[in-house]
Amino acid sequence: MRASDLIGRDVVRADGTAVGVVTDLRCVQDGPVRGAHASLRIDALLVSRHHVGSLLGYDRRKRQGPWLIRVIVRYLHRHMQVVPWADVVSEGPPVRLRG
Amino acid sequence: MTETSHGRVLDLNMHLLDRQVVDRDGRFVCKVDDVELERGADGAMYVAKILIGPRALGPRFRGRLGVWVRAIAERLSTDPIPTIDFAVVEDIGSAVKLSASLDDLRVAPLEDWVRDHIVSRVPGSRHASE
Amino acid sequence: MKLLQVALGILTAIGGFVDIGDLVTNALVGARFGMSLAWATLVGMVGICLYAEMSGRVAAVTRRGTFDLVRERLGPRAGLANLIASYLVTALTFAAEIGGVALALELATSVNYLLWVPLVAFFAWLLIWRVNFSILENGAGLLGLALLAFGFALWRLHPDFGHLAHQIIAPHKPGSERLTTYWYYAIALFGAAMTPYEVFFFSSGGVEEGWSRKDLMVARLNVYVGFPLGATISLFIAACATLVLKPRGIEVDTLSQVALPVAFAAGKVALAFLILGFVAATFGAALETGLSCGYAAAQYFGWQWGKFVRPRQASRFHLAVLLTLIAATGLVLTTIDPVKITEYSVVFSAIALPLTYFPILVISNDPDYMGEQKNGRALNFLATVFLVIIVVASVAAIPLMIWTRAGQ
Repeated sequence: MRASDLIGRDVVRADGTAVGVVTDLRCVQDGPVRGAHASLRIDALLVSRHHVGSLLGYDRRKRQGPWLIRVIVRYLHRHMQVVPWADVVSEGPPVRLRG
Repeated sequence: MTETSHGRVLDLNMHLLDRQVVDRDGRFVCKVDDVELERGADGAMYVAKILIGPRALGPRFRGRLGVWVRAIAERLSTDPIPTIDFAVVEDIGSAVKLSASLDDLRVAPLEDWVRDHIVSRVPGSRHASE
Repeated sequence: MKLLQVALGILTAIGGFVDIGDLVTNALVGARFGMSLAWATLVGMVGICLYAEMSGRVAAVTRRGTFDLVRERLGPRAGLANLIASYLVTALTFAAEIGGVALALELATSVNYLLWVPLVAFFAWLLIWRVNFSILENGAGLLGLALLAFGFALWRLHPDFGHLAHQIIAPHKPGSERLTTYWYYAIALFGAAMTPYEVFFFSSGGVEEGWSRKDLMVARLNVYVGFPLGATISLFIAACATLVLKPRGIEVDTLSQVALPVAFAAGKVALAFLILGFVAATFGAALETGLSCGYAAAQYFGWQWGKFVRPRQASRFHLAVLLTLIAATGLVLTTIDPVKITEYSVVFSAIALPLTYFPILVISNDPDYMGEQKNGRALNFLATVFLVIIVVASVAAIPLMIWTRAGQ
C-alpha cells in the first residue's frame, strides 16, 4: 500500500459516522533496523475535515507566523484530531475506527 | 531538524513526501513522489521504499489528470516503478539524504535518455561553465 | 574583497532591476499619467525588497529552490497548477525580453527587429549553455547601468523637481483618463516592479552560488540598496516621459519613443549609451527568464538543475530551457508586437504573484527550516500587508483588463 492511498482517505467510526479525511501519517522511528537506522513506524493518523492548508504547518505548530495566515488555517483545521494507529480497525477504504 | 535518530517523530506528508532526495555528495536525485508502506511481522505498518517518477506521482493527482499521467507513463515504460529502499536513507532534513551515490542508482530513466540522445550530442556538454 | 563583492552585487541589482517591462510600462505611464502613478512603482519596490529578502534568506538557509519548496508545501496538485501558471507567465516574459533585445538592436542598426530575433535567441542559448553564472549576472547588470542615461537626460531637462515630487506624493489622476484605466496601470506598474521571475532567479542564483548563513548580510545589502536604486531608474524613465512626451501628446507604442526623451534632451552620445543599456538590460533579463523557466520545472520535478554542474549532469534542465527558448522565439517570430507582449506580460506577472509569494512567506516563518532566521514580527506584519495588496491586485487585474480593454 502506498502512503498516498491512505492520505486523503475518508475516516469513519465503527457506526459509520464520518470523522473526516486523513491529512497525514505520524510516524515514529522505533521500528526494526533497516539499513543503518530504525525504520519509521506509523503511530497515528492526523484527521481533519478537509485538506486545504494541511501542509503549511499551522495546524500542528503553536506559534508559527504570520498571524493572519495562522488564524485562517487554524480555523479551517479546528477539528483536527490525532487518532492512534491502535484505534484503526481496517484501512478500508474507508478507514474504520474502533468505538 | 534533528539528525535521524531513534524515537524521532515525523509526519509523512509534511516531512517526507515531495521532498528533494540528494545523494551522499549532495547531488540531486529525485523527489519523494510517493512512499511504499509494508506490514511488519508484528502487524504494524512501516515505511519501506521511496517511489519515483510519473507512475508514482500520477495517482496522487485525483481524477482525470491522475488517470492520464498514469496512462501515458505506462505507455512509455514497462519496467517496474523506480524505487529507493528506505535502508539507503541516511537523514531526513530539509532534503532526504541518501548513503548511496547517484551513480549507483537507476532512478531517472528520462534524465539518462535526454543526456544520451540529446545533450551529449551538443558540444561542450562535458565542461563546467567557464 | 568582500566590499568589492558587495559593490558588485549592488550595481548588478541596479542594472538588473530594469527589464523591458519596466522600460515600456514606466514610459507609457509617464506619457499618459505623468507622475501620478509613481507611487505604484514605489509600492512595488518595497514589495520586491521584502519578497526578494525572504526568498534569498530561505535559499541561503535551506539551500533549496522556490518550486522545490512550493511543491512540498502546497502538495503536488496545487504545486503543479502553481508551476504551470508561473512557468507560462515567465515564458511570456522571456518572449517579451527576446523581442526587447531585438527592438533595441533595431534602434541601433535600423535593421528590422525580426532579423535580429534568431541571432538573439541563439546567443541567449549559447550563454546559458557555456558561460559562468556570475559573469552573466555581473556583466549584464553592470552594462545595464548605462540606463542611468535617463537620469542624465532628466537633469538636462531642468525640471521643477518640487513639482515632480508633488505629483508623486499627492497624485492626481489626469482628467483625460478614466479611473479604471488609472488602476489598471497601477497594477501593471506593480507587476513590472515585482516580477516573479526576478525572485525565482535571485533565490535559485543563491543556491547556484552556494549561499549560506554567512552570505545573508551581502544578499540583504544587494536587495535593500540595489533594488531601490534600480527603482530610481524606473522613476527617471517615467519623469523623462512626463516632461518630454506628455506635453506633446506622444503615446508610447515603440521602444524608440521610450528613448526619445534622451535623444531630445541629452544628445547622440547619451542615446548610444542608452541603447547599450537597453540591449544589456533586456538581454540579461532574457537569460534570467529563460533560466527561471528551467529552474521552475526542474525544482518541481526534482531534476538536477543549475549551471553549477556540467550540462550533461543536468540534461532535463537544459532541455527544458531550450524548449522554452524555442517556444518564446516562435511567439516573437509570429510578428506580434513585442511591446504588446510586454504590456500583457507585466499584468500577468501581477496576477501570478500571489502564487509564489504566499509559499515563500509561509516557509520563511517555518521554525524547522529557518531556525533563528525566521521572520520577525515586524517583518511579518509588513509582509502580510503586502500579501493582501498582492492578492487584491491579482484578483482585480483581469476584470480591469477586460473593462479597460487592456488599458485603451
